[in-house]
Amino acid sequence: MARHLLRTSLQYGAVLFAAIVLNFALPRLAPGDAIDYLLPPEQAGALTPEQRTAVLDRFGLDDAVPEQFRRYVTGIARGDLLVSVRFGRPVTSLLRERVGWTLLLVGGALALSTLIGAALGFRSAWRRGTRADTGTLGAVMFLDALPPFFVGMMLLLAFSVGLGWFPSYGAVSATDEQGLQLVLEVLKRAVLPMATLTVAGLGPMYLIARSALVSELQEDYVLMAEAKGLSDRQVRRHAARNALLPVSTVALVGLGTLVGGAAVVESVFSYPGLGRLIYESVLARDYPVLQGAFLLLIVTIVIANLLNDLAYPLLDPRVRKRRS
Amino acid sequence: MTLAEVDPQRATAGTGRGPGPSEVADRLRRGRAPRGAGRTMAIIGAGLVAACVLVALLAPWIAIHSPTEPSGTPFARPSSAHPLGTNDVGQDLFAQLVFGARVSLVIGLGAAAVALVVGGLVAVVAGYYRGPIEAVLMRLVDLMLGFPFLVLVIVLAAFFGRGLWTTIAVIATVLWARPARILRSQVLKLRELDHVVAARAMGASGLWVMGRHILPRIAPLGAAQFVRAANVAVTLEASLAFLGLGDANRLSWGTMLYFANARSAFLTDAWRWWVAPAGLALTTVILGLAFLSYAIEEWADPRLRRPAPRPVRRRALPPLAESAEDAPALELSGLVVDYRLAGSAIRAVDEVDLVVHRGRILGLVGESGSGKTTIALTVAGVLRPPARVVAGTLALAGRELGRPARPVVAPFRGRQVALVPQAAMNALNPAYPVLAQLVEAARLTRGAAEATTRATELLERVGLPASRHRSFPHELSGGMRQRAVIAMALVNDPALLVADEPASGLDVVTRAQVLKLLLELRDQMHLGVLLVSHDLPTISRLADDLAVMYAGRIVERGPAAQVSSSPKHPYTRALFSAFPALHGERRPLASLPGEVPDLTRVPEGCRFGPRCPDAVEECRTGDPALEDVGSGGHEVACLLRRTP
Repeated sequence: MARHLLRTSLQYGAVLFAAIVLNFALPRLAPGDAIDYLLPPEQAGALTPEQRTAVLDRFGLDDAVPEQFRRYVTGIARGDLLVSVRFGRPVTSLLRERVGWTLLLVGGALALSTLIGAALGFRSAWRRGTRADTGTLGAVMFLDALPPFFVGMMLLLAFSVGLGWFPSYGAVSATDEQGLQLVLEVLKRAVLPMATLTVAGLGPMYLIARSALVSELQEDYVLMAEAKGLSDRQVRRHAARNALLPVSTVALVGLGTLVGGAAVVESVFSYPGLGRLIYESVLARDYPVLQGAFLLLIVTIVIANLLNDLAYPLLDPRVRKRRS
Repeated sequence: MTLAEVDPQRATAGTGRGPGPSEVADRLRRGRAPRGAGRTMAIIGAGLVAACVLVALLAPWIAIHSPTEPSGTPFARPSSAHPLGTNDVGQDLFAQLVFGARVSLVIGLGAAAVALVVGGLVAVVAGYYRGPIEAVLMRLVDLMLGFPFLVLVIVLAAFFGRGLWTTIAVIATVLWARPARILRSQVLKLRELDHVVAARAMGASGLWVMGRHILPRIAPLGAAQFVRAANVAVTLEASLAFLGLGDANRLSWGTMLYFANARSAFLTDAWRWWVAPAGLALTTVILGLAFLSYAIEEWADPRLRRPAPRPVRRRALPPLAESAEDAPALELSGLVVDYRLAGSAIRAVDEVDLVVHRGRILGLVGESGSGKTTIALTVAGVLRPPARVVAGTLALAGRELGRPARPVVAPFRGRQVALVPQAAMNALNPAYPVLAQLVEAARLTRGAAEATTRATELLERVGLPASRHRSFPHELSGGMRQRAVIAMALVNDPALLVADEPASGLDVVTRAQVLKLLLELRDQMHLGVLLVSHDLPTISRLADDLAVMYAGRIVERGPAAQVSSSPKHPYTRALFSAFPALHGERRPLASLPGEVPDLTRVPEGCRFGPRCPDAVEECRTGDPALEDVGSGGHEVACLLRRTP
């Protein structure tokens, strides 16, 4: 167990390290001068050669690359992620402000899409080959083929603009609600973006749940469960118990997809999360924020993967043995 | 080992391969299977993608206006001149939609192609050369797969710019890892194939082996990965463009939606001609590619298209006939089972009669593909599509059930007829402790406390030490698992036990113990046992009666002592002489030329005729039926019917 934990940690450590290296390298590798990625364009263009040197000095860009990297890494370790070009504030505090909203959307959507997707997928697998299965399969694949931002726009159109049920933008209203009122307001405004992301995450979940259960149903232990006289419901439970493994793994891949989807969906709903911050930073060429957000997302996903790895033995007794 | 495997001269046979459940499965794997949703999806998917490609190719002829030059008043509603109206600068939206297909498709397909080439190269190099190169490459792949695609693409695109080629490169950068991972595992399998190993051993260069043996074989899988990558790439391009990171000079559908969103077009009714068409166009391509990719996946994994058995409701058992205690555990007559394939049906079991008395073991013997496992599954009530019971009647312990279709037998599973399936070592659910799996079955006929008592009792009776009752299956040896499965089958006191190769996969000593256990249980529990095996010499020592199957028919049956001391059918004789005898004089091992016939093309006359060493002219036309030879119910289906 300990050895496995060590190996997994090392692997994820490598992912993290790669992300940091990438972050460090991008402004230096990208076409143009690194300064263009650190200062707003109008400022960068107006610099005199002396000022340029001063800026290079301030960001440590005139040092040798290893020295630059050392300083970059120790900066990250201290929680120092440079300063936003657009807001003139430390990137860390900006991220702290936005990350909660994205957690709400992505967490909710991940839970919903996993539950709905797995339930539908298991149902389909059990009835594979019937009209109900083919119909569900086609419908889910259609939903999955709709680009998330298009789904968002259509939902916005139908439920905000058309029916007026939900506000069309933002996470809280301008007026100052308190307590329960605030909670309701927040939920109301989260419904549409969360629904959009749920639709985006549903397809892969459904497909993997379906094919996992189909393949479990061909196993010998299912034949035995039937032969010993169990009801269909009991037989299905036997197979579903084992089909949960791949489903839990895909839920994590889904996390990555949903975080990406959030970047797009939040910009449709003007939702003040991390995704919208990324979007705005791209448009404003606010590269320090972009890099900080990227790093934060990677850290989140690495942690989620680590948690999944730790939870895996709970689902599969065979792994419990192999690792101990 | 089956005769076909023993036989070194199989090339001399004029017939093809014969199907049994396993070989039918083989055939399904090769693609002649019942049609699933995949076929329809392949057609629809190809149609959708083809339509988009066609629009992209013919764009200049379809669109009247230029997509980039203003050709009307800004925000014009749809008219005959502008079918979808114009945007905020007066550009024709229909032209943008039509030309947008080009950019979306070029980027989607282009990125997928680059990703496939890079991924394929990594796969071949890693899989073929192994060693440290592979370790490094595969770590890199794991790393790439861990990154969130879209965010990485956004960051890369933000830094590297928005041109067409940059976008393709950026998207390919995040997509190559998946094909690499999947193709590599295929390369690993291929490089160990006999002829590839041989080519390498003879000193063929790596490049030659790859080009000649490896690349052609991974091409289909590569095609599947290409379609999948294209699907993701189109979505990624659209998302990038929607965020304003597309090539501003080349409009794609995503870019159209970006401008629509930036101008809040969807807050007015302009969304109907500005937002909806572009969104639906994207959906069309993505859905088409998704359907194609699913169809390929289903084609590669036939399990996905095998239909489910019909659901079964458990019912109370109908009353026993009068003299039930003395009735045979199993009476089967006229059983016909077909495997339904796309165009044809294979008759795996053809007019078979069997009787198993309580307290006796009937050994059902034949090569793989002879239909014996199909009979076992039918009797146990667990036969699955595409197999179908066409005719026959079944009686279990005196209860007449009629045609033994799955739902008919299902209510009796466990309580009248129990099954120890092939590879019984794998018949335990890995997720639950052994005792729990027995208790679950015992609960069907008694309360919780009693069920635990009963399960423990059975496990002890088959000799599983009490300390292992609560173990998980993977913590037990093969022999222990086998015993646990036998105990599980018997927990509800069935009259008939169907055991399909119950000792396969075990070492010799354990096998003997398991078979001895079966004998004991037969006596203790007054069981009728249908023992299915290909190992005639072993079974003939164990069974009370024998039935020998060939190509879906019983060719000889009778008391085990008589059949083994004087086998009448040439096939039975061949089965006996294909195995060395421990006692008696040494004889050369005979092997049987040819193979079980292809049941889609059953030979005329005697089915065994083409392989029979003694066949005469008459055997080509006459189809022999079982007839008495000697006393005690010894029957044989052979026109020669002569004593050796």
